[in-house]
Amino acid sequence: MTADLLLQALVSGLLLGGVYGLVASGLSLIFGVLRIINFAHGAVMMLAMYTTYWLFTLRGIDPYLSIVVTGPLFFLIGMLIERAVIEPNRFAAEHNQLLLTLGLALFLENLALVLWQGDFRTVRPSYASASFVVGEALVEVPRLVACGGAIVMAVALFAFLRLTDVGKAIRALSEEPEGAMLMGIDVRRIRAVAFGIGSGCVAVAGALVTPFFYVAPDVGESFNIMAFVVVVLGGMGNFVGALLGGFIVGLAESLGATLLPGSLKQLVVFALFVLVLLSRPAGLFGGGRGR
Amino acid sequence: MSLLEVDAVTKRFGGLTAVSRFSLTVGAGEIVGLIGPNGAGKTTVFHLLSGFQVPTEGTVRFKGVSVVGAKPHAICRRGLARTFQIVQPFVNLSALDNVMVGAFNRTDEVAAARRRAVEVLDFVGLGARRDVLARELTLPDRKRLEMARGLATQPELLLLDEVMSGLNPTEIEEIIGLIRRIHGQGVSLLIIEHVMRAIMALSQRIVVLHHGEKIAEGGPEAVARDPKVVGAYLGEQS
Amino acid sequence: MAAEALGGLALGVLLAAPPFLPPYFLEILISVMLVGYLGAAWNILGGYAGQFSFGHAAYFGIGAYTSTLLFLRLGVSPWLGMLAGGVLAAAFGLAAGYLSFRYGLRGPYFSLVTLAFAEMLRVIAVNTKAVGSSLGLVIPNREPAPVNFIFAGKLPYYYVILVMALGAVWITRVVSRSKLGYSLLAIRENEDAAEASGVDALGMKLRAMAISAFLTALGGTFYAQYFAYIDPTITFGPSVSIQSLLQAIVGGAGTVLGPVIGAFVLTPVSELSRAAIRGRAGVDVMLYGLVLILVISFLPQGIMGWVRRRR
Repeated sequence: MTADLLLQALVSGLLLGGVYGLVASGLSLIFGVLRIINFAHGAVMMLAMYTTYWLFTLRGIDPYLSIVVTGPLFFLIGMLIERAVIEPNRFAAEHNQLLLTLGLALFLENLALVLWQGDFRTVRPSYASASFVVGEALVEVPRLVACGGAIVMAVALFAFLRLTDVGKAIRALSEEPEGAMLMGIDVRRIRAVAFGIGSGCVAVAGALVTPFFYVAPDVGESFNIMAFVVVVLGGMGNFVGALLGGFIVGLAESLGATLLPGSLKQLVVFALFVLVLLSRPAGLFGGGRGR
Repeated sequence: MSLLEVDAVTKRFGGLTAVSRFSLTVGAGEIVGLIGPNGAGKTTVFHLLSGFQVPTEGTVRFKGVSVVGAKPHAICRRGLARTFQIVQPFVNLSALDNVMVGAFNRTDEVAAARRRAVEVLDFVGLGARRDVLARELTLPDRKRLEMARGLATQPELLLLDEVMSGLNPTEIEEIIGLIRRIHGQGVSLLIIEHVMRAIMALSQRIVVLHHGEKIAEGGPEAVARDPKVVGAYLGEQS
Repeated sequence: MAAEALGGLALGVLLAAPPFLPPYFLEILISVMLVGYLGAAWNILGGYAGQFSFGHAAYFGIGAYTSTLLFLRLGVSPWLGMLAGGVLAAAFGLAAGYLSFRYGLRGPYFSLVTLAFAEMLRVIAVNTKAVGSSLGLVIPNREPAPVNFIFAGKLPYYYVILVMALGAVWITRVVSRSKLGYSLLAIRENEDAAEASGVDALGMKLRAMAISAFLTALGGTFYAQYFAYIDPTITFGPSVSIQSLLQAIVGGAGTVLGPVIGAFVLTPVSELSRAAIRGRAGVDVMLYGLVLILVISFLPQGIMGWVRRRR
């Protein structure tokens, strides 16, 4: 193992880790407010990636520019999903709510399969293969932009949660549910908004990765699993933990890919997942509610 | 040897001390009341005795054997059963099935468990409602069900955690009568209760907990006159 | 009484009719029985004990791979391999269950960790040449040899899986009427209250896990022998796990017949949709997703729960 390869692994891991962080932030936000582990999170990301693909292919709209469409669009779609599917079952048993999002994931993924078949599609704008070298490591521009964009989005989300009334209501609801209800917060509305924001976040992440990833009906699955790992690692409902956890998982996956043959890198991530679940369901950085 | 011997038990949660050097004995055939203002640590004491929490320091001995670190089901098997302050019925099961779960503590046979459960349900006055789902029972009935499930395990010591809260005076009288009948069957009792009339009438001895510490112990009348006890309760109301 | 007569009639039809069915319908009936069987196996842990495993593919895969490898490499009859797979799966289930339960994983966290265990096995299988890696394993030479679980035509396979499904239902019935069954229901309803009533929650959950894993593994062997081909995605992938829980949830988790009823509803839905929209993969699973959402929303106790309430 040469130092170059390790350095390269570190760079790629950190860059993808930012995206994982954003995906996980959305998942974590939804969990914080709704207390639901959203299995359909990756499916929403996949739909956003298809939206990006079609906007680029049919209209020639740049993937980054399309964020101004996909972000708000999936915010609305998220709110709609929450109102139509989740809200009517708000008081259902915990495992039934989990199954609900599983059903949603199956439905959306296979809807995409029915509509657009299983072919891998790609979005390749002019800058798709732009890169530069830092030290001994190659930095691909789209990955750098994705990571930067994810961080900007996560910071914006963080600011939103700290500074706006809606953001404060979301935080109140995820930190002190009973207190929040007493304070007269419109819980129904905030739940929908939180699901919308979570979906918007993962949609932006989807748009950010399309220039260097493929688009397929099951593309969201691996991101979803990664986000579970990240969120459990970072602490359910803990947004800063989600971002930090994203980098850790990105690094673990990328180092695993460099050090282990074949697709064994996934083993590293799952092993990390199991270890964190067993050792501390509240996450390494605490703040969330486990068990 | 007393049935239950609690010696200098302390429970800390992080920096917070919920119970501090608390000692208590319950003799065979005794009814002991455990009272104290809200947040005094009474329910924590129950958790420590029944194995739901492990003391930070101190010992708990039941029938002469330490139960510190034993799982709740093992403690129940030894003969110490409890109820929960907020009743915890198996809501989707019938009253009979609820009580059968407790009865399986002493038998592996379904028929025997069913016989025992029917007996206990009749004993607590729920015989007519044995096939009703627990979720459909009224609060007073759920309290009875909770006691029945504990009784079905055939305990030597039964811990009752506020089984009268939320009941009206008539229902309270009925529960007092029920507790006397349970006692009449040779079961010792440790009772947490806020209904003073009931605890005074039932207990042979009362232990008062305040801020996690025992501040008084003695017969009902002596405790009721104890200025520290009066002070603790007045402090709660201000 | 009417229910028993109906049950007897259904059983009679299931025993007598298949020889006269066209192959297509026989195939459908076999897959109904297989997923019904898997649902029944899942139901013991998921429906009765309330531990929603999302990773039963782990046991299915262990069963399929154990018997197939023993047969291909050592010539051991898959009938024996089936038992070996079951024992191995039960052991894996006990280890995974002990870790999960011991460390207090409940509800969705248990679901996630079981999913992770199954995925780990899938990744290991994909990367292990000795078990055929991602290419999987083929059982060549399909000369009929009943002693080696290889039959001529589909009908014998049907009767094998029918007996397995009836066996799983019978085991469920026995469990549900035993101390174990009552204890599992109590744990599902409220684990703390169950413990306080003398239920050894860890021990009981592990028993349910072992039974459930053992039975699921036998289904894996059946799959391998019937289709004569297995690979990591088919056997260890999430779709087996989802199929298993889906039958039970739709039919009625925690009921004796629920999973089989679920299979009789879901499989035709999938077949009809595939027939209606030809050449488009995914229609059936898309409908499964929709059915899952609808069942949770409108029949949260499944079909059996609904039937019970109407009576």
